[in-house]
Amino acid sequence: MILHDYELDSDAYKVRLLLSILGVAYDKVPVDVHPGREQRTEPYLRLNPLGTLPILVDGDMVLHDAEAILPYIAKRYDTGGVWLPDDPAAFGAVMMWLVFAARDLASADQARLHHMLEAPGDPVALDKAARAAFRVMEDHMTKRELAGAKWFVGASATIADLALFPPIALSRDFAIDHDEYPALRRWMRRVRALPGFITMPGIPDYH
Amino acid sequence: MSFEAGWYAVAIAEGLEPGTSAGTRLFDKEIVVWRDQDGASHAWEDRCPHRGMRLSFGFVRGNHIACLYHGWQYDTAGQCRYIPAHPNLEVPDTIKVVTYPSAEAGGLVWIWSEMTTEAPVPPPADFAARPVRSLYVERSAESIAAAFVSGALGDFEASGPSVFETVIDGARLRLALQPFTAERSALHIVRLGGEADPTAIAAWSEGLRRGLEAPLPVRCAAPAAHAGA
Ligand code: FES
Repeated sequence: MILHDYELDSDAYKVRLLLSILGVAYDKVPVDVHPGREQRTEPYLRLNPLGTLPILVDGDMVLHDAEAILPYIAKRYDTGGVWLPDDPAAFGAVMMWLVFAARDLASADQARLHHMLEAPGDPVALDKAARAAFRVMEDHMTKRELAGAKWFVGASATIADLALFPPIALSRDFAIDHDEYPALRRWMRRVRALPGFITMPGIPDYH
Repeated sequence: MSFEAGWYAVAIAEGLEPGTSAGTRLFDKEIVVWRDQDGASHAWEDRCPHRGMRLSFGFVRGNHIACLYHGWQYDTAGQCRYIPAHPNLEVPDTIKVVTYPSAEAGGLVWIWSEMTTEAPVPPPADFAARPVRSLYVERSAESIAAAFVSGALGDFEASGPSVFETVIDGARLRLALQPFTAERSALHIVRLGGEADPTAIAAWSEGLRRGLEAPLPVRCAAPAAHAGA
């Protein structure tokens, strides 16, 4: 299995995180995104016409987008079905949060790239959209904690938690402090304590 | 209505786990609130004396807080005790973080809003309460207090300059208002009595926030309408 990867890409990090937690062996191919824009060169566009990372190649199968790759890896390599539960209600809830991660948290990713690499974007609008999304997550985890739960869905961590973690964990890179998200602060601490947890640049490792 | 120097709630005490820190603001001043491994909470200026990094970005090691930047460590009195680049140095007494008086009462962490060694008035007396949540609202503390007093969002009683009470689903709630920045505030909500599902109260608080942030104050829906949300 090959992951076409960029160290600073928070979507690629989601995949590295799940692979590390599951202890699955894979080959990592670094792609020169900045400044080379290698993901937009001919060989890469043949793998993914969208010109984005990460890309996972497993035998004949090619997948792009972290929110598709995470469920694939979970189905294929997490035989216990812990990270992507089979139960219809839990499965639906995990998928809902994956859609949220891909759609509603895209503004957070764009805000970060704008701050770090001067990617185009309206910083005020991105900041507002990212805060709105983080508030939805904070309200959810607040109610989950009051009900005695620790994770976004179900009784243990799922790929929903891994897909939601990087944007908020990296939010200080685009000037959103964690001050207003006490429930997310506690949840991030739990994510960091997962066996096999790894960091990426911008997520300090304190343990 | 304006807010003066005094004791303000800045966090739900139980939400600040031993060995962790959190950044917050009071009248726009950056503050780090942290709990040491022995369980005592502390409120300091959120600024490392070395190069000004926010200490809330750092981490707690035992009863020291360590700065993320260069790892300087401070003891519970704010005194710098260890500088990794000079491990054998006897750290001078002058390297000290500025601290705020702080106390815990009613399940909340309260701090005196001015940097001083001792607050001129004692902290709020303890009261029996169960924590619900901290609610962050994009409105000034003045406008929130005015909305409560107006009755437009329900019946709120002022029980202190920054403390309000209301009854939701038969539960008596206390809401402690924290002036965060000029445009943002926090409401730290605890339950004084009455049986109510805390998640229903949390859902009600989201409606309260929508009401407070609406361009014109609107009356929030009855809590029962949110109970199943
Ligand atoms: S800024 Fe805190 S140790 Fe250097």
